[in-house]
Amino acid sequence: MENTDLQQIVEQASQEIAAAENEHQLNLLKSKYLGKKSTLNGMMKKIGTLPPEQRPEFGQKVNKAKKRVEKLLEGQAEKVKEAAYRKAVTQEAIDLTMPGRKTNFGSLHPITKVWRELEDIFMSLGFEVAEGNDIEDEFHNFDALNTPPDHPARELSDTFYIKDDVLLRTQTSTVQIRVMQSHKPPMRFISPGRCYRNDNDASHSPAFHQVEALVVDEGITFADLRDILNIFVKKMFGPHIESRIRPHFFPFTEPSAEIDIVCVNCRGKGCHICKNSGWLEMGGAGMVDPNVFDQLGIDSEKYTGYAFGLGIDRIAMLKYNIPDMRLLFENDIRFLQQFK
Amino acid sequence: MNISYNWLKEYIDLQLSPQQLIDKMTFAGIEIEAVEELGKELRQFQVAEIIEKKPHPNADQLSICLVNTGQEEIQVVCGAPNCKSGQKVVLAPVGSKIGDLEIKKVKLRGEESYGMLCSEKELGISDNHEGIMVLPDNSEVGKDLATQLGLNDVRYEAEITPNRPDLLGMIGIARDLSALLNRKLQLPVAEISEDKTPIETLLSLENTEPKLCQRYLARVIKGVKIAPAPAWLQNRLRSVGLRPINNVVDITNFVMMEYGHPLHAFDYDKIVGKKIIVRRAKQGEKFTALDEETYNLNSSDLVIADSEKPMALAGIIGGTNSHITAETTNIVLEAANFHYIGIRRSSSHHKIFTDSSYRFERGMSSVTNEFISKRAASFILEIAGGELAKGALDSYPNPLPLNIVKLRPSRVHKLLTIEISSEQIKQYLEALGLKQVDSNEEELAFQIPSFRQDLTREIDLIEEIIRLHGYNNVQTFQKPQNITDTHRFYARRRVQDAAVNNGFSEIINWSFGDPDDLDKLQLAPEDPRRKTVKIKNPLGPSFSIMRSSLIPQLLKTALYNIHHGQEDLKLFELNKVFSVRRGQKLANEELQFSGLMCGLAQPNIWHTKTRQVDFYDAKGVAEDILQILHITNVSWLPSEEPFYQPGQAAKIAYKKLIIGNVGKMDAKIAATFNLEKPLYLIDINLEKILREIKTKLPQFQPIPKFPTVQRDISLLIPAKYNWSKVKKAIFQINPKIIKNINIFDEYKGKNVEKGWRSISFSLQLSSSTKTLTDDYINNLIQKIIDTLKNRFSIQMR
Repeated sequence: MENTDLQQIVEQASQEIAAAENEHQLNLLKSKYLGKKSTLNGMMKKIGTLPPEQRPEFGQKVNKAKKRVEKLLEGQAEKVKEAAYRKAVTQEAIDLTMPGRKTNFGSLHPITKVWRELEDIFMSLGFEVAEGNDIEDEFHNFDALNTPPDHPARELSDTFYIKDDVLLRTQTSTVQIRVMQSHKPPMRFISPGRCYRNDNDASHSPAFHQVEALVVDEGITFADLRDILNIFVKKMFGPHIESRIRPHFFPFTEPSAEIDIVCVNCRGKGCHICKNSGWLEMGGAGMVDPNVFDQLGIDSEKYTGYAFGLGIDRIAMLKYNIPDMRLLFENDIRFLQQFK
Repeated sequence: MNISYNWLKEYIDLQLSPQQLIDKMTFAGIEIEAVEELGKELRQFQVAEIIEKKPHPNADQLSICLVNTGQEEIQVVCGAPNCKSGQKVVLAPVGSKIGDLEIKKVKLRGEESYGMLCSEKELGISDNHEGIMVLPDNSEVGKDLATQLGLNDVRYEAEITPNRPDLLGMIGIARDLSALLNRKLQLPVAEISEDKTPIETLLSLENTEPKLCQRYLARVIKGVKIAPAPAWLQNRLRSVGLRPINNVVDITNFVMMEYGHPLHAFDYDKIVGKKIIVRRAKQGEKFTALDEETYNLNSSDLVIADSEKPMALAGIIGGTNSHITAETTNIVLEAANFHYIGIRRSSSHHKIFTDSSYRFERGMSSVTNEFISKRAASFILEIAGGELAKGALDSYPNPLPLNIVKLRPSRVHKLLTIEISSEQIKQYLEALGLKQVDSNEEELAFQIPSFRQDLTREIDLIEEIIRLHGYNNVQTFQKPQNITDTHRFYARRRVQDAAVNNGFSEIINWSFGDPDDLDKLQLAPEDPRRKTVKIKNPLGPSFSIMRSSLIPQLLKTALYNIHHGQEDLKLFELNKVFSVRRGQKLANEELQFSGLMCGLAQPNIWHTKTRQVDFYDAKGVAEDILQILHITNVSWLPSEEPFYQPGQAAKIAYKKLIIGNVGKMDAKIAATFNLEKPLYLIDINLEKILREIKTKLPQFQPIPKFPTVQRDISLLIPAKYNWSKVKKAIFQINPKIIKNINIFDEYKGKNVEKGWRSISFSLQLSSSTKTLTDDYINNLIQKIIDTLKNRFSIQMR
């Protein structure tokens, strides 16, 4: 008799509890099923009217039902709490596609970026970095570099002059001469800097940037030069970019060479950038002419050396696919901000 | 590994002071981690003679001794029962210290005592406290105790690299020093006289693990007398930090420290079945070691057993069931070689680390055993007596031939660049125990001794040669060139980066300038920027000078961008400016930083109210740049540049040096460049900073241990006082406690009277010695308010 009643009570409670949606409803259910006026509590009070031998079993059954209801209430309370939390979280959802609060930092000029990269590559290879004057004398720009006074490179039309024998350097080799005058071999350094030539078009700027390298020591060979060029090209343009050198003429190196790299655009297939040759000219190189050493009082029998020069602006144009040199000096912020 | 200076001298005539020896060992690759002067404590005590002993009148236990110290006769009260007149004893004179106890002149039961006669325990020599220490009769009165006992020594704690187990004994060290110093190594000899009884009749040996036990050599000595070892032997052990136990054990330890090869002694009578079995332990076999721990062995452990039980965990530790005790009379002397892999495994598994395991796990020789067994046996016979059975039981299942390593002198030169003759090479290597066995001009061949298993290849020999020849005797070729001006190099990068981090884009302009621009900027005729370098053949009149300021082109670049619809600009250039250098052929070329800001402070931002840039934005950039160059203590004074708006531009002064200007450009002058918008400029002479200002890297300051307290204050300040004055006055009140002042608001207008402004700031307060209490802080704040009120009529808001 009581068994069926108890089962019914628990069954009903279970259904009502499962339907409860908040703490308040659960509190009401708690007093309904477990409170003083609840049926279960009433049954418990009735215990005294039973014959003593039935009392323990009856008591246990009612208690078990109470426990069951308590547990159901607790379980549902957890669920209600969790649901409320989930709801609150859902309401806090925001538009994830709105832009973030980003620091609007600026940008280094692409020339500076390449300049630094060059310095870092060569410093990692044990080179030092030397600086020099933009305004130089003829000796350091020409004479010391084995370029005699009647040489066509000294034409007024190519070089900006300040005074008869003072000019804007046409290459950073001037720094090499200065360092060879102030230091003793062995030496191993690069000299990045600004140079000037009286030239102004899509591929020439009257002010441009170059890096030159000079290594002087006992036992420096043409193979060392080729090594360093190979390493540099691969570090700067990627491991797949091959380079080559071919004979050329510079007054201050012997043998002299021009450096080509495989076209970074078409990888050698031929395109408009490499004018269908598959190769791009990168700069000049060679073994230092013994005359240059002799003039500076460096024993050209004991020491050998190599030198090379590369155009920073040209490397920047190749790396960032910049078609016209003038873009580099227009300083349009829409251009500059592309190279963050 | 502990090395004793005195002990080392047994094998080599060093002719070096203890200090010089450190250098030699260091450059031989033996790194000395600590040096301890031994005997120092004992030097304060002296040998004295008891001239007369008489009973103490007031105490039965005490006696009064008249003692000759060598200089005087003094009275000492002594409680030791063994003191007798005529004895040579140890006196702790007045002023000496035993532990923390200073010996003073005292009265003992009414009798004066000028010092103390000491027991061995009191002197820290042994645990013997049965009476005062009695010295031999021939001891010299007056001598200090350390000298008397021969305990003046220096102990070096050396770090031996794992490739050199041969250096784990005195002889190994001496051998290296002998090679290094080109002095003869004096090796000990071992002469033994054997009894007639063949060892085979006393003991048998079975080695079931030839891989783990590469060699096992046992000798039997019958009839030894176990006693404390003689003083010289105990002193030797103590000098390397070992504790003397008894004569036999001490001898095995002595020989171990001498040759670096561990030995062990068993009590012969405890060996059941009179058979030594080298075997793997049974799984779960119990073994109680000398550390009094019982270990559960497993089948990867190697044990030395008799027919019933394990007696030792091979090469690691002996057992309590078979060790040498005072009752021992017959012993088995073990000199074995166990493979390092097994030792390492068992030692780390059971976490037992002993002098023995330390050596075996680095790999020992299988040849040295033979000699050290004789060496130990001869000592035992000499010191503990007994009869040595004839012969030895020797299990040496796989004798390894000595390695031959070939060396090309040309290779030595190629690798080390040093010029070294074959003769010199031979001398170095033979001094290390190698033997030249064959040679021709191109190649020398050397036999490697068993204790140098680290030498297996040509390159190993080359390393030995240069180690002895001296690493620092190799000539270097590259001298530092110091071509890079590192400070300048990184300063330039850091300034560029600071600007970029502030939202600035770098521009690069040509170096050609227009002389008319200098007029537009209204530069005075005497302004140094007027001394321009002129180009003889320029591109045109507007490119006819080398620029002396970056600002005109910066303005033109701004205009270009504004014309192209870009109104919110932050631009900078860091480049050279030029001027004529008087009397010189070449020009001044100086690094300059110039920046320009206009439009919105933070364009392209939707979540915060936007505003136009102002003076403080520009000043912030300058402050960032100065900070990144580690320049502190600059003043911001009204600028004297003609092209700024007065009252909204500052010059940056470092002491008397003007290093830059920041501010709003004068609107009328900007208009001459066709610029209509408010513009702010930052102009810093980087060259001047690099040339004139010595900066220091930030140095670590300890993080405050006590909490930092923050208090917010709002003040009404008369307009005539600038912030830096107010701030300085606040800091001065207590610079140790006031760590920082951060403004969070400035207000003028409604509710603030004209001629006044309100500034709100937070004070960061902390002490390096205590937690600040509320009372303390309130007092400090009140003091700040009072001071500001009195000096500047400032009010609280």
